[in-house]
Amino acid sequence: MLRTIEISIVVLILAVAYIAAAFFASLPSPRQIASPNLRQLALTTLRLLDSDNTLAETSFKDPSDKAWTDLEIALSASLPPNLVYNLTVYDVARIGSSVTYRKYYSTSNSESGFGTHSEAASYLVTSPNATFSLTPKRLSATLYILNCSDANGWWITGYSAQGLAFDLQKLLSPYFNTTIIVQNTTELGQLLDGNKISDSSDESIHNAVVINTFGEAVPIPSTYADSYDRDNYAEYCYEVGKRVNQHNWTWVSIVGYPFYYVSNTVELEYSHNSWGIYGMRRSGQAGLNSFLQGLDVENHPAYNYDGSGITGDVGVVHFTEDAIYQSNYYGIYPSSYQTATRALPSSIQATYHTTIRSSVFQPVSGYYGAATFKHDGKGALTAVGLTRTPDIRVTALALLAYYNPIIYKAELTLTPGEAPTQRLLVLQLSQQGAS
Amino acid sequence: MISTTVFITAILLFVGLFSQTIQSAVLYQQNRHVSLKASDLIDSILLSPGYPYSWGITNENLSLFGLQKPKATGYTISSFALMRLTSFEDPVEYPRGSGEYYNNVSIGTGGYLFIPVGDCITYETASMLLGINRTYGFQLSIKPILEVLTSVHQSNPLILKVQVKGPGSSLGGAALSYYMFHAYKTTSVTMQTGTAVTDAAGVAYLDFPIDGEKDSYTIVICAELSGLRGFGRFSQVIFTQGAGVMPFVVDYEKGKIFLAHSWDVQDQGTPVPNYEFNATFFMLTEGGEFEEIQIENSTGGLNYGSKNYEITHLPIANPGFLLVTYRSGNEVGMNIMPWGIGTLAASVTFGGQPSDNVWTAVDMRQATVDLVGYQATIICWRVEGY
Repeated sequence: MLRTIEISIVVLILAVAYIAAAFFASLPSPRQIASPNLRQLALTTLRLLDSDNTLAETSFKDPSDKAWTDLEIALSASLPPNLVYNLTVYDVARIGSSVTYRKYYSTSNSESGFGTHSEAASYLVTSPNATFSLTPKRLSATLYILNCSDANGWWITGYSAQGLAFDLQKLLSPYFNTTIIVQNTTELGQLLDGNKISDSSDESIHNAVVINTFGEAVPIPSTYADSYDRDNYAEYCYEVGKRVNQHNWTWVSIVGYPFYYVSNTVELEYSHNSWGIYGMRRSGQAGLNSFLQGLDVENHPAYNYDGSGITGDVGVVHFTEDAIYQSNYYGIYPSSYQTATRALPSSIQATYHTTIRSSVFQPVSGYYGAATFKHDGKGALTAVGLTRTPDIRVTALALLAYYNPIIYKAELTLTPGEAPTQRLLVLQLSQQGAS
Repeated sequence: MISTTVFITAILLFVGLFSQTIQSAVLYQQNRHVSLKASDLIDSILLSPGYPYSWGITNENLSLFGLQKPKATGYTISSFALMRLTSFEDPVEYPRGSGEYYNNVSIGTGGYLFIPVGDCITYETASMLLGINRTYGFQLSIKPILEVLTSVHQSNPLILKVQVKGPGSSLGGAALSYYMFHAYKTTSVTMQTGTAVTDAAGVAYLDFPIDGEKDSYTIVICAELSGLRGFGRFSQVIFTQGAGVMPFVVDYEKGKIFLAHSWDVQDQGTPVPNYEFNATFFMLTEGGEFEEIQIENSTGGLNYGSKNYEITHLPIANPGFLLVTYRSGNEVGMNIMPWGIGTLAASVTFGGQPSDNVWTAVDMRQATVDLVGYQATIICWRVEGY
């Protein structure tokens, strides 16, 4: 009898234990087990609709505006048919340190509610009148822009070197700690000799960037014209290459065949470039070869005449994917395809111990429309081998792609007099029929 | 004795009941795990560009699998990476008998996208790079959100009916912009652009002063409403002499394209026609418009003997489409090839097939491909089953 009671008690305990376990271990509905991640779907839907800023613009429109109807149609169309949504827009107001949310607009395609299971994602947008200030991190290098009043340019038809220098200064000076305009060939001579040409304490000869705005011509100081005049001044180009290596400069050629001519309107007053531009002498194809020899001075310790042509006429070239990105990143928008008739070959890498960096255009048959050739030791040449006339935005892009200065994007600067406005969008999704 | 029997029976009964509850709970946990894996996988694939980052535009081997557009943020997918995914369609051998096969992405009548099978990423490779081979299987489907359906409403003069709809409803009030290319008895293509707006049912009618029964034409339509954008294409090919001139991507990295005589793909009987062709590339600009770009060897003639293909190049990393108009006698046809998946709203389905009786989890995300809204859906399952 006692055992029967004991067994009954055990059975009772087991039954209670099972009932309790079954009660507490109640399993969720299958839908909850494997529902699509509605929160992520809601968030990605909001992002999609804001991919061209349309959602942000709509969020600040009057509730009676047609844009809200369009948004509702787009929402209904983009979500799977078994989903219902509720979009609520809140006006975000900041009073002192506190933030308040006031309902501004709400819409839903569900008449019967959302059942027990729904998920929501929130998305903050800023009013279209807000602007975001951009502050580039300045490079420590000094930017020199050649603006020599005693030199002439070639293949910059329609522009003057001085005008190009001014535009380049506007475009690039925000990215450099110091920008110095080289006013004449005498200053260029000082620079080549390693002497500062300004009073700025930030000026640094070493690691500088030198942009030659004279197209296919390069200004030549009188002192250099006297000393390095062999082979129509190709020897001078060798000397420039040496100095680029010595000071670890990046020499920038904005258009055409680099170092094709040298120019000094005083020293070469009676010479012309064979096209009627006086103050200029044609070094020809030897100019670039000589410069590259000088750049690779460790392996070319002495100047040697080499008049062979090395550039290629490759026709239309297209931006690399990196260049498209850099174009957007820096907000510089030259045409993404251009004509390259003086593209530099990849063989420069082996011949003059350089490495191609940051090509702006996709190479065509081994020729680069615009790229930086970084010497394995010191110095670099950024050559834009496009046809005339120059587009200095390509030059700026090539240079920025090479140095890649960071841009800090400061948030929310509002138009003066206007209240700061942000809107919070909450998109709630639910599967129809959810229990 | 009776007590012992009752006791043992009760124990067995409750062990059975408990194990049933525990089994359900374990199954729940396993299914939940698959569901979480689906969510994790789709984010891993769509929010990483993979490595090398630009693998979508090169022939480089992958060491990390991901489809995000390099340097983009969020769910922005590389249309070129999508092109390199092995399709479910049967590969096409070109030239016939050569043993060289091309991945075949189906984009409807008159549309082709053939890429060397060797340049494509297989499901097995992707699965291994994601670290889920032998544990989980997946099938990823990336489809445009908007369907831009075009049909002939009237032939002469031509009126096309365009309907725009998404998975949830029609897109009323959508702004349409279209590029109509048509040719008659010549490979010289006339392009006509225009705009329209869909009615409340998402329908619009486009009028063209051409004879739709005589002219070959291809229309590319962009529909847009409130940040939601989609493309559609429709071709009417009046051509009875083979498939004409078919584009093949032979070197993906260099954008090298063969414009091939269709006889090398399929013998459609004698006499085998000679073709004149005219190829034009239209690049998608950042503003969402198409701009014509000059390409090399854009015109010429092909036969099935000594001159059975021509070579041209397309700009790498610049999405758009290649339109090839061909003629034999008085008949003119058109073929089109997307360069980047998004520009002609092609769909991609990539992955494995779940075996029977396997429990699958589904998750989805909204994404953009070349400015076009796409829906990415993943189906995930455990390879070992339960």
